[in-house]
Amino acid sequence: MSSAELLALAPFAGVVGLAIAVVVLDIIRPGADRLIGLLAGFGLLFVLAVTLYAGGPGTGVFGGVYVRDALTYFLDLLFLVIALLTVLFAPDYLRPRRLPMAEFCATLLFAISGAMLIGGSRDLLVLFLGLELLVLPGYMLAGYAKRDGLSTEGAIKYFLLGSFSSAIFLFGLAFTWGYTGTTSVAGVAAVLEGQSTVSLSAGLAMGLALLTAGVAFKIAAVPFHYWTPDAYQGAPTPVTGYLSVGPKVAAFALILRLFVEALGPLKADWVGAIVILAALTMTLGNLVALTQDNIKRMLAYSSIAHTGYILVGLAAFAGAAAGSPAERAGLEGLLFYSAAYVFMNLGAFAVVAALQGRTGVTSQISTFAGLGRRAPLAGALMTLFLLSLTGIPPTAGFFGKAYVILAAVQAGGWVSVLAVIAVLNAAVAAFYYLRVVVWMYMREAPADAQPLTQSWPMRTGLALAALGTVVIGLLPGVIIPGAQAAAQALLH
Amino acid sequence: MTGFPLLSAIIAVPLAGAILLAFIPRDRLQLIRYTALAVALITFGLSLALLASFDPAAAAAGGFVRRETVDWIPAFGIQYKLGVDGISLVLVVLTTLLSWISILASFKPITERVKEYMIAFLILEVGMLGVFLALDLFLFYVFWEIVLVPMYLIIGIWGGPNRIYATIKFVLYTLVGSLLMLVAILATAFAYQVATGSWTGAFDYERLRGFGFDTTLQALAFLAFFLAFAIKVPMWPFHTWLPDAHVEAPTAGSVILAGVLLKLGGYGFIRFALPLFPAAAKAYAPAIIMLSLIAIVYGAIVSIVQPDLKKLVAYSSVSHMGFVTLGIFIFQQQALDGAILQMVNHGLITGALFLCVGVIYERTHDRTIARMGGLAARTPVYAAIFGFFMLASLGLPGLGGFVGEFLVFVGTFAVSPIAAGVAVTVMVLGAVYLLWMYQRIAFGEVSEFLKSIGAHLTDVTPLELVTLTPLVALTVLFGLFPGLLLGLFQAPVDAIIGALAGAQPVALLPWR
Repeated sequence: MSSAELLALAPFAGVVGLAIAVVVLDIIRPGADRLIGLLAGFGLLFVLAVTLYAGGPGTGVFGGVYVRDALTYFLDLLFLVIALLTVLFAPDYLRPRRLPMAEFCATLLFAISGAMLIGGSRDLLVLFLGLELLVLPGYMLAGYAKRDGLSTEGAIKYFLLGSFSSAIFLFGLAFTWGYTGTTSVAGVAAVLEGQSTVSLSAGLAMGLALLTAGVAFKIAAVPFHYWTPDAYQGAPTPVTGYLSVGPKVAAFALILRLFVEALGPLKADWVGAIVILAALTMTLGNLVALTQDNIKRMLAYSSIAHTGYILVGLAAFAGAAAGSPAERAGLEGLLFYSAAYVFMNLGAFAVVAALQGRTGVTSQISTFAGLGRRAPLAGALMTLFLLSLTGIPPTAGFFGKAYVILAAVQAGGWVSVLAVIAVLNAAVAAFYYLRVVVWMYMREAPADAQPLTQSWPMRTGLALAALGTVVIGLLPGVIIPGAQAAAQALLH
Repeated sequence: MTGFPLLSAIIAVPLAGAILLAFIPRDRLQLIRYTALAVALITFGLSLALLASFDPAAAAAGGFVRRETVDWIPAFGIQYKLGVDGISLVLVVLTTLLSWISILASFKPITERVKEYMIAFLILEVGMLGVFLALDLFLFYVFWEIVLVPMYLIIGIWGGPNRIYATIKFVLYTLVGSLLMLVAILATAFAYQVATGSWTGAFDYERLRGFGFDTTLQALAFLAFFLAFAIKVPMWPFHTWLPDAHVEAPTAGSVILAGVLLKLGGYGFIRFALPLFPAAAKAYAPAIIMLSLIAIVYGAIVSIVQPDLKKLVAYSSVSHMGFVTLGIFIFQQQALDGAILQMVNHGLITGALFLCVGVIYERTHDRTIARMGGLAARTPVYAAIFGFFMLASLGLPGLGGFVGEFLVFVGTFAVSPIAAGVAVTVMVLGAVYLLWMYQRIAFGEVSEFLKSIGAHLTDVTPLELVTLTPLVALTVLFGLFPGLLLGLFQAPVDAIIGALAGAQPVALLPWR
């Protein structure tokens, strides 16, 4: 193995190694939560540095089943940021509930390694391997508060529907393999492109349908979203934050590698499904979120709506003519939106977690009453994240929306109707996001409200999330070249 | 343009002030108040420097002066580009003037969360100034939305009993319009990119203006822009958020809302909707003129029956802003001059009327017209000032309100005598609701309610006089010498009318 190949594998291997190190440290020094947190945090920083050094030169490893190209690079950085922020947010919530940090960190890191495997995988089987490595720890995390009935219930729903959808997805992969005769991503694309007229045989159509359904489960697109609210509500809050971004972005990575790179030649056949999924997902997610009184359920439905916005980027790719700039813009929009979404959504969940720093605080929106006065900084940050989720400039969420809408307008046809649906949805979403602001600033705190205290990791994490939300919004130029390079790598 | 970036400074000073305020301890109320006032006064001073250095001849030659351009998002040719012409200049000065007046007027009424209030106010000023100065469509949109957040907080936190309903209604109405405008902006830029093959300048107003977009795009994009601006103005039937917002907003919020925020809509029409989509504007103009006439008459009739002082002034704004949209869409030079004058004068006069309502509300905690009476006897100075602005609002010749409406009449008459006739009837209705309101609150016996207030019912304080006097002076000045303003924006008005004259109206529903 050459040094270039070793370097290409280093970030993935680093996270796996870090997960193992956490387990080992827990065996040597049981219950040393602070030490575990430090190890995981600084370990992730180290892997982040390695990833930045490794870049995305396009090195293939193991005969090309894993590749470190610009897309892998972009996604790896995102996944590492997700892991780092989650580790920073966790202790304030876990400690008062006596939930062990070591299991949390180890499981999380294994899940992230799965996500990173998906991001760089160029083989159908490795894709599936990565997917399972991602979701199995996810089920464990959802049921992590094992004495909590809601957590267990959510985890079982998540597990049953998740494993069911994995099976459907695998079935779809089998069809694809059967009709193209290869499991290599590039090979599948070559076979499909090689057909003089790209016609959809019955078997391939079946495979496409199964793959679409399986992936739609993973990204929680309507009508495959039913597990989301229960799993999100039941899981411990830092886990919910992770579940709302980690598996979602990873599932979009899966879509990029599978649907865009391998099945791209068939895109005229799947664009219709994506357009309908996107419209349904945005609209239903937002409408149901309007009626929620539980902040975690509300953010769960809002995350469904954001899936819809990200799907608009995919629809723009699929609806545009091959080789047109709109095709690239759609993928760039998808990636940019994902990056923006990571910071703002994790940030919002972090404030919820900070609020629940004492046991006994429920997830009702009313717990936010008077937060703007009780804890001005937390209130201001929550407002920032909510405004970004709404899409008000100059925040990351605004530019993300503008990017996918621009791509949709470029693609033309039915996809540009999605642009209009997306903005109308954003106006609907403003209502429920602003409702939280109303609670924080326009209603008085209950008399027995306690002041908030945050540990330094929580403060660091909040600062990072806020910084990301503001910087990506004010200077989108810091992300755009990365997204452009990643889209370029996908389209060659 | 080299040299001192004055326009950026005008935007940056309130922003820096807001950041500075964040570091002042929240219990130092006086320090916070005076810092905010000082920041607003510095901004006002800078805008006066801009006014003093403005050369109409240079602006006429180049369209805009003092362009400040920095690449912001090169991937899409989005620039941080500012510039000023006569139209934006007068609105910038109006904004900075009303901002410091509003901050000063908030000294006494706002006692809770003063720090947050002042920060919100300064951010609001940043957004408003940015809208007037931006010459890049994307940048314009960013500032347009920035305005929304502080106003949402100002109404929602420091407003009246029904404030939450009012502020959410305000935000949702505005957001629906502006988000569709975002799609239209992106579609416009993309059309430019397709036509020229490059993103360079795709959001640059000066390149897009008069570009001649295809008719389908014009028809659709104009509708989106129209909706955003019509809600902001607000035109009938998009006006229902306005009375709620005004009634619940704190006094200074109402002043800024009526004085500047409504003008954002009128400015948007003049600056963006007409020059970018002239053919579509021509096609839709008859319908928009109808809506304007309805707004003028409807606002006046509804004002007559309002029991609440603030609501009355709010509905009269709907009527007065109807003159602005009428003057814009009649496509006649004097009418457009009148529309811009009317924007400035309405800002001064209605802002002042809201200040007057605030004065009485602060003393009585009531705004019901029926409970007032005999104010002229109890508070003569206050009644005189209120009466002055009441007369200015109904269009007494010699005061500011008259000139704008008169020019709109004259211009409209030249194009459509019927429309002018309908609009003139409102002079009568305006006299009815304003004089009747004034008669009920100022004359007659001192009401039982006011007697029960007792010694609290004092005449205007020196502080209130400081806020009202500049508005009195300017209303007289612009009433007697409207040429002072007209000379500033003659060139851009001529350019807009000239560009429109050459445009062929698009066939509506072109996609059929």
